[in-house]
Amino acid sequence: MRILVVEDDEVAAEYVKKGLSEAGHVVDLATDGDTALEMAQAADYDALILDRMLPKRDGLQVLMDLREGGDATPVLILSALGETDHKVEGLRAGGDDYLAKPYSFMELLARVEAIGRRSDPTAAVTKLKVGDLEMDLLARTVHRGGQKVLLQPREFRLLECLMRNAGRVVTRTMLLEKVWDYHFDPQTNVIDVHISRLRGKIDKEFGTPLLHTVRGAGYRLQP
Amino acid sequence: MGSSSKSADAQPLGDLAETLGRLLKNTVFRLSLVGALLFGGSLLVAQLIVYDRIVSAEIRRIDDGLRSDLIELQSLFEKGGDRVFQEAKRIGALPIDTPETSPLAQPYFDQGARETVERVVTLRDLSDDTYSMFVFKGRKSGKLVTEEIAALGMDAPSLAGFVSRGLIRERAIATVSDIETDRTEERRVQVLGLVIYEDEVRVGILFVGRDIETIMRTGERMRSAMTTSSFIALFLGILSSIFVARRFARRVDILNKLATDVQAGHLDRRAPRTYSEDEMDRLAEHLNGMLDHIDRLMQAMRYAGDSVAHDLRTPLTRLRTRLETAAVEAGDSPEGDVLYAAAGDADELLSTFDSVLRIARLEAGERRELLKPLDPKPILDDLAELYEPACEDAGLSFTYDIESGLTIMADRGLLSQAVSNLVENAIKYAGGGGGSRIHLSAQKGQRGRVRIFVVDDGPGIPVFDRERVRERFVRLDKSRTLPGSGLGLALVDAIADLHQAELILDDGLGSDAVLAGHDDHDGRPGLKVELVFPRAKSVKTDDSPSDGRKGGSA
Repeated sequence: MRILVVEDDEVAAEYVKKGLSEAGHVVDLATDGDTALEMAQAADYDALILDRMLPKRDGLQVLMDLREGGDATPVLILSALGETDHKVEGLRAGGDDYLAKPYSFMELLARVEAIGRRSDPTAAVTKLKVGDLEMDLLARTVHRGGQKVLLQPREFRLLECLMRNAGRVVTRTMLLEKVWDYHFDPQTNVIDVHISRLRGKIDKEFGTPLLHTVRGAGYRLQP
Repeated sequence: MGSSSKSADAQPLGDLAETLGRLLKNTVFRLSLVGALLFGGSLLVAQLIVYDRIVSAEIRRIDDGLRSDLIELQSLFEKGGDRVFQEAKRIGALPIDTPETSPLAQPYFDQGARETVERVVTLRDLSDDTYSMFVFKGRKSGKLVTEEIAALGMDAPSLAGFVSRGLIRERAIATVSDIETDRTEERRVQVLGLVIYEDEVRVGILFVGRDIETIMRTGERMRSAMTTSSFIALFLGILSSIFVARRFARRVDILNKLATDVQAGHLDRRAPRTYSEDEMDRLAEHLNGMLDHIDRLMQAMRYAGDSVAHDLRTPLTRLRTRLETAAVEAGDSPEGDVLYAAAGDADELLSTFDSVLRIARLEAGERRELLKPLDPKPILDDLAELYEPACEDAGLSFTYDIESGLTIMADRGLLSQAVSNLVENAIKYAGGGGGSRIHLSAQKGQRGRVRIFVVDDGPGIPVFDRERVRERFVRLDKSRTLPGSGLGLALVDAIADLHQAELILDDGLGSDAVLAGHDDHDGRPGLKVELVFPRAKSVKTDDSPSDGRKGGSA
């Protein structure tokens, strides 16, 4: 993906750039709001990582100006203002996801890849398939290797989230937000427990594991 | 619905008592009530003075007249016994046409006895206790039959008021008959008596009376008018006190409401001005000035807080990213483990910092307007479903019973966070302290309140520590070895405050066993942490959680 990172802290921006490049993305940097708007309008990016507090032009303003100009590039907003109301503000201004500082790089990577994928036409699918694991979103059924797997409603949503992001890392925070709609980090390993239950249902009795733990980051569903 | 109609029945009485109580607490009402009482009192005094000038002065005038009559009659009597009365007739004090059958007891006739008795002259014979009486009817001729002399009955004139060489002042009742209509009437008579001496021997008492019925009636009417008008004045005074107090109270209430709103975090509220420049208006002006100032300070502080947050988080994020990058590069090596651990430490540092900021923001009450009526059941069911497996993994049995149909004023995110903190505390401290059970419950409390509590059978918190643990960074010695920042319960406390809910810490599941002396709990009373939400003001319930997710229960 081609990604524009807008961040006034150059050191942090360099790290983000380095990390994203290593993950196989093409990254441009902008350090103030005006430059960011110019660059975003000039080139066609797959995703934007936008800091809220920027010199010259506020991050939200950049976003609103972009959206006003009809630009639908997915935007991940970064901010030190991690409160829910700021999050709502950001999403209302046209952001696709919101990440509060401090974030782990893995979280950032997982999220930007998730929103970058949104523009794919596959968003409206009714069936998901990863390896021999199949999910029917209409019938709400899951089969692996032709064998029916019985899931609780929440487990179904958990698996759906993982399958929609198949091949990519999904962090615990993302799962908590997308599956449970919680915007705080529990201190205990609640997500791990749910994952391990899910694993018991979709992986245990089948030869090759699909659900992998990515150290320091989260989980990845991959054949 | 049934309960609400019941409360409506009990409303008027309660309302009245409440209104009265509120009125009596109202300073303005009390002051104007004192004013009304003072006014009523002075009115009474003024009326008493008028009464004295009119009625008492008239009575005094009558007394004076009686006294001079008495002196005149006395001198006549002293000059020559029954000639007195001849003389009296001659000077016109006695009607001329009185038949004289007896010099002292002389009934005389009156064609119009219904006329007012104006003067009564009585002689009392000390030796045989009999009275002699003459009634003077001014210039009109009158008649008083002999029997009625006794009825005229100088029952009042007696020797009780006897004063040596002085006058006896009495008030008598005279029964006067009208022989034409046969109607009797009781009339009050002011009587002045004088002891008559003949050769230094008392021979009788000469009474002179005058009808005072008319003036007494006037006096009575005045007294009743005075009482009535004083009561009316008092009543009107109380009414005007209530009126003034309510008017004033309304303006004070507006200011009180403003203060409550500001306390609740609505720093943009201002007091309405009347620009009349009266003291209330000036108070409003000063309050508004003060609020502007506070608002500016708050904004400056918030800006500073946000900037500090931003400035601190940026290098911390950098630190974290560096550690993480290094950790990924080091991979599955001992160095990698150290680096991951260091990144974890940085996370902990940041999350503590985050919690502090969160609590500060909650305490500022900024988010109070986000509260809306909701049913806690779906939220708590979700949490139960989230934590049940984790509890099981930790070897704890997790149970929950959540009543449906409850309504509280809450924010979904904050409520989830608070209850999640409580459950995690229970897992951490009960699970680590030998407990085996955690129970989450939501029930109807008293008077429309809603109780949500998490209870465990762990070691609990000693009574004397229960206040302390709500404070930030307070960790009990026993828990120092466990991970945590000491902010969990402080955050719950702040969330409870924001919801105007009460946070109560009590003994948990083990308490009964401890009290009963059973050994199976090893003296662990357990802990119960309860959030008591006030009755939701709005009856309308927003049944669906904010995102519309309902999630199946386990």
